[in-house]
Amino acid sequence: MSILIAILIGCLLGALIGINAPIISYTYSSYLAIAIIAALDSVFGGISSVVKGNFDLKIFISGFFGNAILSMLLTYLGQKLNVDIYLAAIIVFVGRMFTNLSIIRRYFLDKWTKKLEKKEENADGNK
Amino acid sequence: MKGRGTMIVTIGAIVALLVAVILMQFRTVEQTDITTLEAMRDTELRAEVASWKEKYEEASKQLIDTQTKIEEYRSTMENNDEAAILLEEELQQANMRLGKIAVKGKGIIVKLEDSEYAKIDDYDIYKLINELRLAGAEAISVNGIRVTALTDVKTLAPGLLHMDGNPIHSPYTIKAIGDQKYLESSITLKNYGYMDYFIKSRDKIGSLETPEYDIVVEKTGKKMSFEYAQEVEE
Repeated sequence: MSILIAILIGCLLGALIGINAPIISYTYSSYLAIAIIAALDSVFGGISSVVKGNFDLKIFISGFFGNAILSMLLTYLGQKLNVDIYLAAIIVFVGRMFTNLSIIRRYFLDKWTKKLEKKEENADGNK
Repeated sequence: MKGRGTMIVTIGAIVALLVAVILMQFRTVEQTDITTLEAMRDTELRAEVASWKEKYEEASKQLIDTQTKIEEYRSTMENNDEAAILLEEELQQANMRLGKIAVKGKGIIVKLEDSEYAKIDDYDIYKLINELRLAGAEAISVNGIRVTALTDVKTLAPGLLHMDGNPIHSPYTIKAIGDQKYLESSITLKNYGYMDYFIKSRDKIGSLETPEYDIVVEKTGKKMSFEYAQEVEE
């Protein structure tokens, strides 16, 4: 429950900062975009690992920042080489996001189905 | 419990960071549509500037080229104009000599008349013309008929002359443009001058005046085209 509150507070704080922060130049916005995708991937990865029960804060944080920085570096390299490397990064991250999302969905679907079954059993037992 | 607290704080901070960055990106993207040019990469802008500069240089080069050409054309035109002016002047001179245009200037007017005893004949006329030419007359006319290189004078009958196809008779008015003193003195020599020898001593009437005003010598009415003569190419 306290985690949910922390997330809510974080959202509000982030919104405040994001609205008041200065606008970054368009030149760097592509780097920021790829960093956001990487971060979102890490978040979904984190949620899926929570669901699986093997969540590790260190791995989550290192993945969060490491992936973001790495993807930015790759984008920079791609720009220097005139190859759109960021497309590869986006495909990988978004693909992983879908995988993680499907894991999360299955977990909650399973949970829901079990709950329904339990209810039916209880109803049968009461008869 | 301490580990859990750290985790909560960390996750909160990460969520805050993520949301802040996402919002920043949203705003950037939103703004960029309005001010695309400002947000363009420096390198792109530089390339753009370079290309425009190139275009400008090309255009200015073309301008210079065109201006040079215009200058050339103008100078050619001026040369042509000069040539045309020279030709015009030459033509004017030639026409004046030929008698194709009327001319005016200082000169003398000689009047010859038949008397009871003697008539003016063709010889008198062309002798006078000869004398006047000797004295440097530039243009001569007899009774309004311009004396040209092809002028003829012939006595048809006593008192009736034929000049360039026109009948003329007394009184004869000969106008000559030239140095008044030369003209006058050359024909008024004592005893053997034209006036004395050919006119007065032969009972014909002659007078001479040197007017202050410019006298006008008419243009010829004679056609000047060649039917037989051709230019000899050298």
